[in-house]
Amino acid sequence: MKKTGVAQVPRAIAGILFSFAFVLSAVASTPQYVVTNDDVMGNFSQNGVTFYTVGANGSLTFLEQVPTAGFGISGGYFPANRVRTLNAGNNQCVFASDAASGDISFINVNTLSLGGSVTGSQNDTGASNGIGLALNSQYLYASFTDASTIGTFQIQPGCALSFVSDVQAGGLQGGIVDGMAVNGNIMVVTYGDGSIESFNIASGLPVSNGDKQNSTGAAKGNSYPSGVDITQDGHFAIFGDTSTSTLIEVSDISSGKLSQTIAYLSPTGINSSNVMLSPDESLLYISNTQGSAISAAFFDKTNGTLGKGCRTGLLQGYGSVWYYLGGLTLASPNGTGQAVYAAEYGPTSSIAVIPVVSSNGKCALTGAANTPVSDPNSPGLLSIAMFPPRAF
Amino acid sequence: MGSAQRYFLAILIIGFGTLYATAQNCPARPKMGTVVQDPLNLISTNGELDADFVMGHSVDDQGYTHYCFNYKTSKNFVESPTLRLNQGDILKLGVKNDIQSDGSAGMKMPPSSAATCGDSGQMTVSSTNIHFHGLNVPPNCHQDDVINTLIQPGTPGFQYNMQIPSTQPPGLYWYHPHVHGFTEFQVNGGASGALIVNGMEKVRPEVTGLTERVFVIRQQYLVPWVPGPYQLTINYHQAVFGLPLPKIEMKPGEKQFWRVANATIQDFLPLQVQYNLKAQPLELIALDGYPLAQPRMVNTILIPPAGRAEFIVQAPSAGESASFITNNYSTGPTGNPDLLQTLANIELSTDADKDGYKAPATNTPVDNSKFMDANKQPATTERKIYFSEEFGGTNGPIQFYITVDGQPQKVFEADEKPAITTQVGAVEEWTIENRALETHAFHIHQQHFRVLEIDGKPAPNQDLIDTITIPFWEGPGHPYHSVKLRMDFSDPTTAGTYVFHCHILLHEDLGMMHKILVQPAGAH
Repeated sequence: MKKTGVAQVPRAIAGILFSFAFVLSAVASTPQYVVTNDDVMGNFSQNGVTFYTVGANGSLTFLEQVPTAGFGISGGYFPANRVRTLNAGNNQCVFASDAASGDISFINVNTLSLGGSVTGSQNDTGASNGIGLALNSQYLYASFTDASTIGTFQIQPGCALSFVSDVQAGGLQGGIVDGMAVNGNIMVVTYGDGSIESFNIASGLPVSNGDKQNSTGAAKGNSYPSGVDITQDGHFAIFGDTSTSTLIEVSDISSGKLSQTIAYLSPTGINSSNVMLSPDESLLYISNTQGSAISAAFFDKTNGTLGKGCRTGLLQGYGSVWYYLGGLTLASPNGTGQAVYAAEYGPTSSIAVIPVVSSNGKCALTGAANTPVSDPNSPGLLSIAMFPPRAF
Repeated sequence: MGSAQRYFLAILIIGFGTLYATAQNCPARPKMGTVVQDPLNLISTNGELDADFVMGHSVDDQGYTHYCFNYKTSKNFVESPTLRLNQGDILKLGVKNDIQSDGSAGMKMPPSSAATCGDSGQMTVSSTNIHFHGLNVPPNCHQDDVINTLIQPGTPGFQYNMQIPSTQPPGLYWYHPHVHGFTEFQVNGGASGALIVNGMEKVRPEVTGLTERVFVIRQQYLVPWVPGPYQLTINYHQAVFGLPLPKIEMKPGEKQFWRVANATIQDFLPLQVQYNLKAQPLELIALDGYPLAQPRMVNTILIPPAGRAEFIVQAPSAGESASFITNNYSTGPTGNPDLLQTLANIELSTDADKDGYKAPATNTPVDNSKFMDANKQPATTERKIYFSEEFGGTNGPIQFYITVDGQPQKVFEADEKPAITTQVGAVEEWTIENRALETHAFHIHQQHFRVLEIDGKPAPNQDLIDTITIPFWEGPGHPYHSVKLRMDFSDPTTAGTYVFHCHILLHEDLGMMHKILVQPAGAH
């Protein structure tokens, strides 16, 4: 068993680390959960969303599993985020895709009960590699990896979804939809062939901005933008690449379209298929999906540049109880997020709990003493989210 | 699974579906539980072996698609005969492609500016050609070129015409199709056979007078690119737990000379002969066609995909049970597990060997200059080459790379420029590193290499081979496994452009391959 360690952390930072009390921001008006799409395969039992409560020290405590309306596939694309949360007005919702049955279930957070489910068009299926989700307060978008379509669903009161329509989307080399993010009027999509594209969603429905292009990393032939996040002001889209190293690409989208990406390479990790900005946008968290570590890079939201940050050591259980790192979420919707939770995919899935310390341009990511938290309901955990979600 | 791979699968699925409906023209394969026979021997006479193959295919009653190099005898068709030649002999091999054209989409051939050999058109699942694996022959059209040679269905056929080098070490080589993008499919179907350069007994008298057995171990998946159950076969006899196993007949206590080729598409085979479940000593004579400097006793012989081993086996005494097995072998967290399987039960019979091959006595001397490796020239160039993979999800890698360190990682394209350029006369040291979470098998055409180091330490045996196992990386915090190889390009016969790649055939088909150009001496 490998032990989690502190990697490249100066002694000063380590001192700061141990002197800081780990206090999460109180969110008085709403409950706080970490939720997982358990992605349970149909042959065994129904899929479900597991709710964890977040303790004062960032610890996770199992609350309950809410069955979804369908079945999962226990795997698929890393960046296809299969669970999303919404906290808008009276709508406190969890949306979870069921890849095997091709539906999207909606759960009312206040009652922890399944509200129902919805499907897209007849062709909208994702049984091979999952159904990724992205949303704003009005619409939920679903990427169906079998059909390479993006379905649009209107969010109704009570978290219900109604299917609007779908559009075909494909990469320059025939790639299918992989990662997806929305912010304001723009949706940014990655394809599995190294190309990226943005869509205007002002009307609710995605309309291509005509900017489909190969990323800088893909043009060099050695990486594929996969996961994507967008800054709060919609100025930059940030891509985590499927790669044999850690490669992040940034595109200026302030014009409403993708610009040529700028690539940042770090040889310290393998694959960076999932990325997530901290709520204050000072840090970009990177899940080394084909490895065993979480990285954080400093992000300057004024100019979209990345700087050297910090990295965990080997996370416990890698290679023995889990094999891939999946999606990321945070303990707090404020500041640096205070702790990173990472989905650990394997026959005995788990959740890594990684407190974040950041001060004066230096940071540290360490594994909490009780990490990983076992996620026994999931035979293949890839997607994780927090409620309430980050504000953007 | 990434889109590129899905696209590839779509191509193959189209091809597969179409082929399924075509006429059958491969010979029936042996029934389960029967005695394993050697392949038919085609033996050169007066310095020449002239034969014709027809590449056919069919689907058996279990749903396995067969591909076969058919040879017509006076009685019937047999598949994949063993070609036996002497050093310096001429091999004239006609190949006609009788795979019914399916019109499926395919990979584009090199642009018109590139040289082509044989038929024009696209590489599809119905195209074929032959690679003479391990022969140190020119990489030229009508010899051992796989980059430009294409034999299409419905054409008159293609003629291979080459001379076995006078320095080619006596030993076991093999032939198989090598159409980029579709090699796995045809090899999975069984299109492969042995090629033996005679004379082993002249350099290794230990084998003199022994009955030879030629065993070609193949692997068949119902759908080769889908991980899942598969069958190993030995000379086309299925070896499946729980079902009647193939039988190898030996006389009690008899010594035989076994020549075993790993013609599987991806299995690493740790071979053992067991008596009463206990591994027995095997006298290893040659690897990958090259006689060892000294025979050595081993209990297990690990043969990577495409590797060969030649060894002496002694049968048990009467009353003991014995079997020929391949053991479990881990290919890493993202590799396919290679499972323990009894390949055949060894059955004792006083009537064994009645049809066994014994090398005829001749006075012809054998040139041993190549495998004695007289060239002591120091290496002048060092290179590092590494394997790596990219994962977009949990369904396996989506990109397979072999990369010369310092160059961009990219998959093979038929019209690409050589990744390595060197000259006849050069001696180089290559470090091959595995940065992937699964084991790979490095192979280079036209050349054998000497294994100098394994994981930075001197290799204990320094063998000359053409395919080598490089174990998987255990992950962050662990060093990459590596081998250091001495590449001797002093033989002008092999000047030209050829390829190096992983011999897990899916990896090769998906682009874990690049070109090397060996320029003639004096060229710049």
